[in-house]
Amino acid sequence: MANTGVVAALQAALAAENAAIFGYGVAGAHLTGSSQAAAERDWTGHNQARDTLAAMISARGAVPAAAQASYQLPFRVHDASSATRLAAYLEDGVTRAYLGLVAVSDQRLRRFGAMAMQDAAQRAASWRGSTLAFPGLTPLAP
Amino acid sequence: MLLASAAALPLLLGTAGCRSSDVFTGPDPLAGRPPLGHDVLTLQAVIAAEHGMIDLYRAAISGDPGHQRAARARMLRALLAQHEQHLVRLKARLIVPPGTSASPSPSPGGSGSAFFSPGPVSVAQLRAAERASAADLVRRLVTAPPALAQLLASIAASDATHVTALGG
Repeated sequence: MANTGVVAALQAALAAENAAIFGYGVAGAHLTGSSQAAAERDWTGHNQARDTLAAMISARGAVPAAAQASYQLPFRVHDASSATRLAAYLEDGVTRAYLGLVAVSDQRLRRFGAMAMQDAAQRAASWRGSTLAFPGLTPLAP
Repeated sequence: MLLASAAALPLLLGTAGCRSSDVFTGPDPLAGRPPLGHDVLTLQAVIAAEHGMIDLYRAAISGDPGHQRAARARMLRALLAQHEQHLVRLKARLIVPPGTSASPSPSPGGSGSAFFSPGPVSVAQLRAAERASAADLVRRLVTAPPALAQLLASIAASDATHVTALGG
């Protein structure tokens, strides 16, 4: 039962990584120069994270969920500005997805999830140009 | 009249030579207050550290306003505001039984040690404090209840972004 929860949390993180890989492919096509280089670097990082998560899921006797053929983008991406917003949006989603791993009972996985949240939140802040008080969490109502 | 108030019951039991534990299956009302739970102690320590971080930012902002560039002062105020939000959300989770006086434990070698430095506070000191805070929160979250662990992880992620914003 505990393993079921762990695998579900890992699959959720994997799904977010797959969505980010797709999204960065779209965003990168609208970026140039250092922004494009940053998008390529982040795309590579998400590919590595995907492979790590897939291996962790397989090690627990489960099958890593496959990426979808395409993903519905949250808004139209047609220029560098919207591509940059998409990158921040993708990283916010990845940050949120790793939050599930922080709630499992395995302490090593909790630490892994927390560190992955930090990486994603830093990338999101870089794309957004500002930081958040609660990356991955829903802000409290005012 | 056979009714006895809860306050009078221990007296009655004492008179009869009974321990309250002979009657109640719950916590012994004569044994003093139960110790605070691990999650409460964790929250108290994190709240104390957050207060320290806020003090540090306030010191940095007020330390040398004449020489600070406006953009940097604006950034520091924005990061301070986020620490104040952390504090509000942490305090909202803290429910301490009335009358307890357990003091929060500052983290050894963690963010607490970076706070109380006399004199002007530099951006480098803020950066070091943020880095230490993020590490301390991750250390604490691995043994915290799941919902608290998620809040601590989110605050740690926020602190990590502050390190980068401060040039780290």
